[in-house]
Amino acid sequence: MLRYFAKKLITLVLLLFLVSITVFSVLFVLPGDPAQIILGINATPESLANLRAELGLDKSFMGQYTDWIGNLLLGRSHQSIHYKMPVFDLILGSLAVTGPMALLAMLFALAIALPSGIYAARHQNQAGDVTVMFCTQLGLATPEFWLGILLTLLFSVQLGWFSAGGFPGWSTDFWGSLKALLLPAFALGVIRASILTRLTRSSMLEVLREDYVRTARAKGLKERTVVYVHALRNALVPVLTIMGLQLGQLLAGTIIIENVYFLPGLGRLVFNAIGQRDLPVVRDIVLFMAAAVVVVNFLVDLTYAFLDPRIRLE
Amino acid sequence: MKRFVFFILMLVLIAPAPWVSAATPQKGGSLTICVGDEPPGLDPTASASSAIDRVVYANIMEGLIKVDRNGQFVPGLATSWNASPDGKVYMFYLRQGVTFHNGEPFNAQVAKWNLERSAAQGTKNAHPEFFRVIEKIETPDDNTLKLTLKVVDALFIVHMAEGDAVMLPMKGFENTAAAPIGTGPFKFAKWNRGDSVEMVRNENYWNPRLPYLDKVTYRFIKDVSAQVAALKAGDVDIIGWLLAPELAADIAKDKRFKVFAGASTSEVIMSTNNKVKPFNNKLVRQAMAYAIDRQTVIDLVMSGYGTVIGSHWPPVTPYYKDMTGRFPHDLKKAKELMAKAGYPNGFEATIKLPAIYAYARRAGEVIADMLGQIGIKLKIEVVEWGYWLDRVFKQKDFELSMIGHAEAWDIGIYANPNYYFQYDSQEFRDAYDKALKAPNKAEKAKWFGRCQEIVAEDAVNGFLFLTPALSAMKVELMGWWQDYPTIAMDCTAVWWKK
Repeated sequence: MLRYFAKKLITLVLLLFLVSITVFSVLFVLPGDPAQIILGINATPESLANLRAELGLDKSFMGQYTDWIGNLLLGRSHQSIHYKMPVFDLILGSLAVTGPMALLAMLFALAIALPSGIYAARHQNQAGDVTVMFCTQLGLATPEFWLGILLTLLFSVQLGWFSAGGFPGWSTDFWGSLKALLLPAFALGVIRASILTRLTRSSMLEVLREDYVRTARAKGLKERTVVYVHALRNALVPVLTIMGLQLGQLLAGTIIIENVYFLPGLGRLVFNAIGQRDLPVVRDIVLFMAAAVVVVNFLVDLTYAFLDPRIRLE
Repeated sequence: MKRFVFFILMLVLIAPAPWVSAATPQKGGSLTICVGDEPPGLDPTASASSAIDRVVYANIMEGLIKVDRNGQFVPGLATSWNASPDGKVYMFYLRQGVTFHNGEPFNAQVAKWNLERSAAQGTKNAHPEFFRVIEKIETPDDNTLKLTLKVVDALFIVHMAEGDAVMLPMKGFENTAAAPIGTGPFKFAKWNRGDSVEMVRNENYWNPRLPYLDKVTYRFIKDVSAQVAALKAGDVDIIGWLLAPELAADIAKDKRFKVFAGASTSEVIMSTNNKVKPFNNKLVRQAMAYAIDRQTVIDLVMSGYGTVIGSHWPPVTPYYKDMTGRFPHDLKKAKELMAKAGYPNGFEATIKLPAIYAYARRAGEVIADMLGQIGIKLKIEVVEWGYWLDRVFKQKDFELSMIGHAEAWDIGIYANPNYYFQYDSQEFRDAYDKALKAPNKAEKAKWFGRCQEIVAEDAVNGFLFLTPALSAMKVELMGWWQDYPTIAMDCTAVWWKK
């Protein structure tokens, strides 16, 4: 177990190092001068040079890279060029929006996927199964942003039940904040639910054909116990793998939905930062996202052992 | 008798009420304004970005001079000013008893410090040249400022009324970009990064009757359909700048809202690289000018909102000269000029369009079709903003492009042969120089007019249209500016009709 942790940790450090080099080089050669974007197109060359010096953009490639990594290792946060505040605080602030939204989206996805996937598996090739499969096709084919706009038009513009977007902040209005995340989380959840439903169904079908399930049935256990206790637990392993991937992706990839609902989340932060060439923000967030994906997958690995004691982490 | 007096008194007290309430502004209420771009910091003296001015200028911070809703220069922190007959000495008489939001007093010394700070070596001001024209600053007393200029500068007053020249407090200025302090009608309250900027009424504003609103919130929503959804769902009260024109007609039909389509100072031009072949040929540029049907461009790109322009000067700005008749839509003449220039069969070229501006992308497509009719085959390349700034604007690596130039009084860019469209004309530089040194209004009108004429005649760029100041708001909102003659969204006199 300890060896497993050590291996994972080394992987994480190596990966972050590679990501940091890649991100830094890409941003370094990317056309677009942060100073010019801040000062606007009519700025004089002198004021551009002054700002560049202040931002440390006049240093060499290595100089800028070591500046960045050195400060990160010392736990010192860089200042965002655009927002004039520490990048760590910006990431924490936006994570308070994106994190709960991603979890909520996964919750929606699970709440839809598990019952319908199990139902479809138990009624394979019957009308119910076909209907469920058809719905998942529809869900897979629907773009998030379009569903987001549709939900806004119906629930915000027509019915007036929800606001069209925005985020009041957890400390000012807890329930309002939760409410603000419901529609976007639902829009995100539906697509993921479609994938998970199909996966639950096929995984369930496979497990239901296994010998131990037949044994369980032969023992005279109730069908309910067979399906939900004996079969489901094993069927969940592949579902969990995909869920882990999806959660990592949700933390990093909610740019479009956050723009539709103008939520101050991580996706919109990095999207704007790229447009504004707010390089300290882009670098730190990309690094953070890479770390988040690794950590989430690590947690998923841990739950395998919990679900299926035959799996050993080594 | 007593009863009669009482009756009269009651009449006086009650009678005006009904009509007063209809016309007199009422105090109170809060306003949420939706704009697309979040400003890169909140310090207008450290950036030329118009997104900053649209939030803080005239609301949180003020300069010596303000621009009113009709484009006139009116007293700000200076109650009056005058120039010597030779145009070199300016006297500013400052408003007394003004304090900054942090309690520091505003006086001639503070004003002097601000002007010197912006002109200093290593200043962060995007336009130090606005201030370096000042040779000497004297403060005869606490409320008088005497400025002696090195040369006559016809645009000096214009520049003093821009966001770059706002007055900051001497002690509390360091953190302006994150927590600005000014003398304006609203005090900065909070900047929720990625979401909104909040400001509240300044109870000690020098005009005790203003502002009317208790609170103003700027909310940043980039996506145009999300903007409209937010307005319709009541999350914002007004879309203040760059409302998508194709959505405006639909909002105007809704009885809960009204749409203003005024004039702004932003000229949308087809930027043309005057140094590369074949666009270095004046005949080719003139042929393109004839080939473009500007009204159709406005109809197709801006859903009919916007004003045709013929040169680089907004019709709302003083000394405007109408050049829209110089190149009427005439395909026959355009083809003749193309043949005369040696391109009877046209040529191929590339137009680079900045992706962040919907109007630029759409206008590019329309123009490509129009130029196709005289044989110019345009390849459309949509590029990201950072790329545009670097390749098109800085390295001048382009043939044609499309962009709105937001600042008024910016025709001086044509006097700089290194500016990205690389127009090099001694005739223009002479005319512009004379305009800058013009001692009186008649002379200014003559030479600024001449400047407009020259760039129109040379068809330096494709002069297309003036961006409309399109805004959509709740019908109860009063006092919002119809035109935007300066880059600001002044909420000082905005109020809610209850």
